[in-house]
Amino acid sequence: MATWLVRRLAASIAIVFAVVTITFFVIHAAPGSPFLPAESQHLTPETLRRLSTEFGLDRSLPEQYLLFLRNVVRGNLGQSFALRRPVADALADAIPNTFTLALAALLIDFALGLALGIYQAVRAGRVGDVVSGNGALLVNSMPVFWLGLVLLLVFGQWLRWAPVGGLSNPVLCPRLDSPACGLDFLWHLTLPALTLGLVGAASTARYQRAAMLEVIRQDFVRTARAKGLRERRVLLVHALRNALLPVITLFGLAFPFLFTGAVLVETVFAWPGMGRLAVNAIFQRDYPVVTGAALLTSAMVVLGNLIADVLYAVADPRIRVRSETA
Amino acid sequence: MNVGNWLALGGAAIVALAAVAALRRRITATASGRRFFRHPTAVPGLFAIAAPVVAPYPPYFQIDITNPDLPPSTQFLLGTDPYSRDVWSRLVYGARVSLGIGAVAMLVAATIGTAVGAVAGYFRRWVDTALMRLVDVGLAMPRIFVLLMAVALWEHIALWVLVLLIGLTGWFGTSRLVRAEVLSLRERDFVVAARAAGAGSGRVIFRHVLPNAAGPIIVSAALGIGNMMLLEAGLSFLGLGVPPPAPSWGNMIADGWHKMTVAWWASTFPGLAISLVVMAFNALGDALRDALDPRRAGEEGGEGGGAA
Repeated sequence: MATWLVRRLAASIAIVFAVVTITFFVIHAAPGSPFLPAESQHLTPETLRRLSTEFGLDRSLPEQYLLFLRNVVRGNLGQSFALRRPVADALADAIPNTFTLALAALLIDFALGLALGIYQAVRAGRVGDVVSGNGALLVNSMPVFWLGLVLLLVFGQWLRWAPVGGLSNPVLCPRLDSPACGLDFLWHLTLPALTLGLVGAASTARYQRAAMLEVIRQDFVRTARAKGLRERRVLLVHALRNALLPVITLFGLAFPFLFTGAVLVETVFAWPGMGRLAVNAIFQRDYPVVTGAALLTSAMVVLGNLIADVLYAVADPRIRVRSETA
Repeated sequence: MNVGNWLALGGAAIVALAAVAALRRRITATASGRRFFRHPTAVPGLFAIAAPVVAPYPPYFQIDITNPDLPPSTQFLLGTDPYSRDVWSRLVYGARVSLGIGAVAMLVAATIGTAVGAVAGYFRRWVDTALMRLVDVGLAMPRIFVLLMAVALWEHIALWVLVLLIGLTGWFGTSRLVRAEVLSLRERDFVVAARAAGAGSGRVIFRHVLPNAAGPIIVSAALGIGNMMLLEAGLSFLGLGVPPPAPSWGNMIADGWHKMTVAWWASTFPGLAISLVVMAFNALGDALRDALDPRRAGEEGGEGGGAA
């Protein structure tokens, strides 16, 4: 297990390194520069030269790359061109927002998805299963940002149950440490988290239903029923435990979805997270922020997969044995 | 709508219906085919794609710019958008753009994915290792991020380049699938026999191995078209997809977004159209999987989550 983990970890780091390298060269190979067009900004040639020197853009590309790598290893992601502050600081401000959003969405995703999947498996083939199954398929097929818009329109504009965007309400939450702020934050979190969570839950339910159906037919479930256990106990303890295994893979798959979804959902809900930061940085050709965001995002994706693999090994003894003997 | 468009639509409809009919005849001849058509959403799904639709107005025609955002009525079936264009007409024309992009991008992705997967699985050793590490990197790359970078940095990118890019970033999953399939197929007796008979690698791969791996490739392609369409919609929504006056469904959502509180119909219907068509493709993929894999008879569901 230990050697396996070390090897997986090394591979993960290599993948992140490759992603960052590709991003670095793609963004630097693109035509144009962060300070163009110079005419419209009324920059004198001297100012332009000074800015280029300040941000190291006057060096050759391989030189810039080596410098960038050295800084990354030291934990320095560079200085943002547009924000005029260290990239690490800008990311540090945005990450907690994206994380909270992703975590809330993940919670909705799995709570709702598992419940729905179990319900569908138990009622397989009946009206409840067919209706909710097709409903889940439809939600799973929706563009995330569009679902966000519709939820905003219905709950934000028509019913006025939820705020239409942002992190907090300046009237309810004038200072960050006032007691109403936590609730206000949760209130603002509801719609974006629901948007991401619902789409995720639809796909989780589809997996869970299939996994549960597979397990329900097996002998040990019949044995449990024959012992006279209550149906609830048979389903939720005996069957569910075994049906959860395939769903762990989903956990790893959820990460890329949450991050791509976040790019669009954060735009719709004006949520100041990583996705919005990255999109703005791309539009402004803010090279260091883009590479920094790529580094973090790919690290998250790889980490998600790694966690899923470890959970898998922990949950299923067969995998552990196989990897030890191999 | 001019004569050429009518002809094009009619022709496409006839070809599509004929194809569906022929396909149906062929697959209902087998037990697995009947399983396919038992799937509740597969048939309407197929027809949603093939259905000929009629647009009363040209897609760029601004009916009365001083009086936009008209609600749905008998004259304007789904209302008019903030630029006073008929939403229904644009939706119909947008279907070509959105479906076309999805189909072409998927074709690109499926071709590359199959080629890479087949080569990696067939030749194994360092070729396999190298290609699969590449796929690992590709899968770890946030896709929308890469596309955003490409489109935003190279301004005024042509539509075909965008489609190509969507395809070029979408083949990683397919290649893994094909590789696994080829790895098991290449050890089978008929492949060994072909090799022993002196067939070259190219012939063995194309004539013997790949035809037997067609099932999973087709299923992943059907599931993939939906993802491609969602991706296009997302990019267009951020203003980086199909250039604005053209009616793609993502564009239409973006056009109506800022006036959603006044005219909800302009953004809602295109989004609904995307959802239904993507759902049809997902259902089609599920149905094909059920039909092509006898082990899964009677069940459904499985992988194929929607990204973006």
